[in-house]
Amino acid sequence: MAALLEVEGLAKTFGSLRAVDGASLAVEPHSITALIGPNGSGKTTLFNLITGYLSPDSGHVRFDGRDVTGANPGRLYRRGLSRTFQQARVFPQLTVQENLTVAAGYSWAQLFGRRMSAADRERVARLLEEFRMAHVADLFASELSYGQRKLLEFAAVLMSSPKLVLLDEPTAGVNPVMIATMEQHIRERHAAGVTFLIVEHDMPVVMRLCDPVVVLDQGREIFTGPPQAVQTNPLVLDAYLGA
Amino acid sequence: MRSIPYAGQIRGVVFVAALASLPSFNLAHWSINIAVFTLMFAVMSSAWNLFGGFTGYPSLGHAAFFGIGAYTLGLWFEHHAVTTGYEPFLMLPLVGLFAGLIGVVLGAIALRTRADVFAIVTITLLFVVQTLAFNLRGLTHGAQGLALPIPPFAAATFERPFYYVLVALLAATMAITYLTMRSKLGLSLAAVRADEDKARGVGVRTLGVKLLTFSVSVGITAMVGGIWAYYESFIYPQFAIDPLITIGMVLMTFLGGRGTLWGPVIGALILETAQQTLAYELGGSEYYLIAYALVFLLVMLLMPQGIVPSIQSVVRRRRRRAVVDAPGPPPSASSSDRTDVLTRDAVVVEGPR
Amino acid sequence: MHALIQGLILGVLTAGVYALMASGQTLIFGVMKVVNLAQGAMVILSAYLAYGLFTSFGVDPLLAIPVTTVAMFILGVAVQLAFLRPLHDEDRSELSLLVTFAVALLIEGFMSVTWRTTDRSINTSYANSSWSVGGYQITLVRLWAFLLSIAALGVLLLLLNRTRFGRAIRATVQNPESARLLGVESNRVSAIGFGLGTATAAAAGSIYGLLYPFNPGSHYDLISRLLSIVVLGGLGSIAGAIVGALIVSTSSAVVAATISPAWSEMTFFVILILVLLLRPQGIFGTTGRGAI
Repeated sequence: MAALLEVEGLAKTFGSLRAVDGASLAVEPHSITALIGPNGSGKTTLFNLITGYLSPDSGHVRFDGRDVTGANPGRLYRRGLSRTFQQARVFPQLTVQENLTVAAGYSWAQLFGRRMSAADRERVARLLEEFRMAHVADLFASELSYGQRKLLEFAAVLMSSPKLVLLDEPTAGVNPVMIATMEQHIRERHAAGVTFLIVEHDMPVVMRLCDPVVVLDQGREIFTGPPQAVQTNPLVLDAYLGA
Repeated sequence: MRSIPYAGQIRGVVFVAALASLPSFNLAHWSINIAVFTLMFAVMSSAWNLFGGFTGYPSLGHAAFFGIGAYTLGLWFEHHAVTTGYEPFLMLPLVGLFAGLIGVVLGAIALRTRADVFAIVTITLLFVVQTLAFNLRGLTHGAQGLALPIPPFAAATFERPFYYVLVALLAATMAITYLTMRSKLGLSLAAVRADEDKARGVGVRTLGVKLLTFSVSVGITAMVGGIWAYYESFIYPQFAIDPLITIGMVLMTFLGGRGTLWGPVIGALILETAQQTLAYELGGSEYYLIAYALVFLLVMLLMPQGIVPSIQSVVRRRRRRAVVDAPGPPPSASSSDRTDVLTRDAVVVEGPR
Repeated sequence: MHALIQGLILGVLTAGVYALMASGQTLIFGVMKVVNLAQGAMVILSAYLAYGLFTSFGVDPLLAIPVTTVAMFILGVAVQLAFLRPLHDEDRSELSLLVTFAVALLIEGFMSVTWRTTDRSINTSYANSSWSVGGYQITLVRLWAFLLSIAALGVLLLLLNRTRFGRAIRATVQNPESARLLGVESNRVSAIGFGLGTATAAAAGSIYGLLYPFNPGSHYDLISRLLSIVVLGGLGSIAGAIVGALIVSTSSAVVAATISPAWSEMTFFVILILVLLLRPQGIFGTTGRGAI
C-alpha cells in the first residue's frame, strides 16, 4: 500500500542555517510513526514544511496520493492532515466548546450559520466525553491547566476527522498522569483508524507507542526502523552523543 | 438576564425606536446637529469595530474610506441633478459597494502580512488619498473644495432626513455586528484575533474572513462619508480625509469596548456628544488634537478593555467565583448539560445555579 | 536625459536624510517589535526646535543638532517608559501601533498650538548657494545635508557595533530569548534602544528643516515615506533601511523630474504595494522561524 505521507528531499535554509537539509520520510497508513532527533535537528521545521506553514526551498510533500508541497495549512487541514504545536496552542479567549467548534473546517456557506448549532454541540459533547473534559466545556481555554490545554489542542484537531495527525511533543511539560492519558487517547484514535506522526523526546513513550521510528539529525533522516533497533544503532548514538 | 429569550433583540429594538423618536421632541437645531454627528461616529465606530475590534488588526486608514465615500458621492452629484433631495441617500449603497471593492483589493495586498504591515499600509493610504484629493484638481478641485447640491429640505426640519438615514444605517451596522457575533464567521474572527497562525492550521479561512469584514467595514464607513458630504454641502480634502476621524473611531471603540456590540455605540455617545457640546460651548479650538490624543492614551493605559467588557467580566466573576478557584477537578456544576443556554452576545458563560 | 540625471543626483543626496530617519525607525522595530508611528512627528518636532533656536537665538540648525538629539533621546525614553512598557503582552503589537499613533497626534497638536499651522522654513545664509557641475545643479544645502546624514548614520552604526551596549541591542534584535538568557536586561535595552531610534529624528529634523518647508501636518507625508522605506528594506534591518531610502528617494526624485512633482508624492506608495505583492518580507528581511 502507498504511504499516506511521503516527504522527499525537503530542504529549508534560514540565512546561513540549513534547518532541514534534504530530509525524506514516509508515513504508512495506520502507523504511529515517531520522529526523534537531538535538539535543533530540524523536527519542528520539518513539521512546518509538511503542514504548509513554511514553503520548502526544494523537495516534495505528497499526502494521500497528491502533491501538496507548499499548500496552505487550512486546505491541508480540510483534506485531513492536521497538526498540534509544541507549546499547546489553543485560543485562550474562546471557551473549550468554541475551541473545538471553530476547528471543524467549514465551507464558506457554513460560516454564516449559527456560532454553535445543536449539531455542533452534540459533536463537541461526544468529543469532550471521549477526552473526559465535559466538566470544563464552558471554561475559557485560558483557564485550563497546561496539560488540559494540550488535550484540548489534540481534541480540536480531531474535529475535522483527519486521516493523519502530526503531534509536536504531545507529552512535553505535562505530569505523568497526563502523559498516560495522552498516550491512551492516541491509542484509542489509532485504533479508530487515524495515522500519527509524532515528535517526541520521551523515549519510554516512543518505545511503548510508536513503530517505526525515524531519526533526524542535522536536517536529514539518518535512520528508520523499529523502536528496538534505534537504541542500538551506532549512527543514532553518534547523533545524540555528539560524537 | 440571559434567561429572557430574545433579550438582545428586544434591547436593540428599544434602542432604535428611542433613537427614531428623538426628533419628534422638537429639539433645537444645535442639539439635533450634535445627534447627527454622534450617530455618524456611532456608525463608524461600529464599522471599525466589525473589523478592527474582532480581528485585532488596527486599521488607521478608515478615514481614507470616509473621504473616498464623501468624494464619490460629491463627484457623482456634480454631474447628476438632485430634485427630491433623497437621491444621494439612494446612492449610498453604491458608494459603499465601490469603497468595499477598493477595500477588497487593498486588503488582498495588505492583509496577507502581519498586523504591523497592515497598519503601515493603512496609515500610508490615509496620506495618499488626501494627497490625491489635493492634487487631482481636475477631478476634486483640490484645496478649493468640492460643492455638493444643497439639500432642498425645509429649514425647520432640515436635519431630520440625515438623522433618520443614520439611525437606519446604525441599526443595519449593529444588526450585521450582532449576526456576525452569532455566526461561525464571528467565531472564525475571534480565532484570528486570538492566534492567527494557529487558526490557519485548523482550517479557519483567515484571509477570507478578514477580507470580507474589512470590505464591509470600509464600505459602511464610506457611506457615512457620503452622508457627511451631503450634510456639509461643501467638502475639503483636509476635512474629508482627516486622521482625527480615524482616531475618533478607534478611541470610541476602545472606550466602549472592542469586540462587543454595544461598546462602540456607547463610546460614541459619550465622546462625540462631549466633544460636540464642548465645541458648541467653547467654539472651535486647536486643542482638540491634544485632548483627543491624551484621552486616547489614558484609555489605552488605564482601561484597554473598555467599558462593556469590564462590566461583563465583573458579572462573570461574580457568577462563577466558585468554579475558577476550586482546587483539583472543577465541580461539575457548569457541566455540559447546561450548554443549552450558552449563547454568546453578552455574558458568555452561565455559572452554577 | 538631463532631467533624469539631475533627478538621480537629487535623489541620492536626499536619500541620506531618509536613510537616517529610517534607520532609527527600523532599529526601534528590531529591538522592540514596535512600529513607531510617531517617528515622523518627532522629526518635524526637531525641525521646529531647530527653527526656534535659529529664529530666537540665531543658532545654526546644524549646530543645534546636539541639543535636539538629547531632547529627542529623552522624549523617546519617556514615551517608551510611560506608554509602551505598561502595555500587556497579549495585545502589545496592536496597542503599541495605536499608542504611537496617538503620540504622533499629540506632538502634532502641540506643534499646531505652539507654532501655528502655517508652513515654516529655515533660511540660513547658505540656503541658496549652489554649484554647477557639468551642467548639473548641486545646492550647498543638499550636499551638507547628505554629508551630515552620512556622518550621523556613521555615529549610529559605531554605537551599535563598537560599544557593549550596542552589542546588547544587536543581540536583542537577532534573538530576544537568548539575549535575555545571556543577561541582557531587556527593559533597559528597550528603553534606550527606543531613545536611540528617536534620537536619529533630531539630526534628521535639522536637516529636513533646511531642505523643505514644513508644518505640523508634514509628519504624515514623512511617516508614510519612512514606513515604505522600512518595509521595502525589511523591518528591522538597518542595511535595508539605507538601501530602501536610496531606492525610494531616487525614484521619487526621478518621477518628479521626468513626470510631475505631484505624482512623485505617490511613488513611495506604489513601491510599497509592489513590495507587498512581490516580496512582503522586504529586501533584507527573511521569513524567519519566528514568524510562526
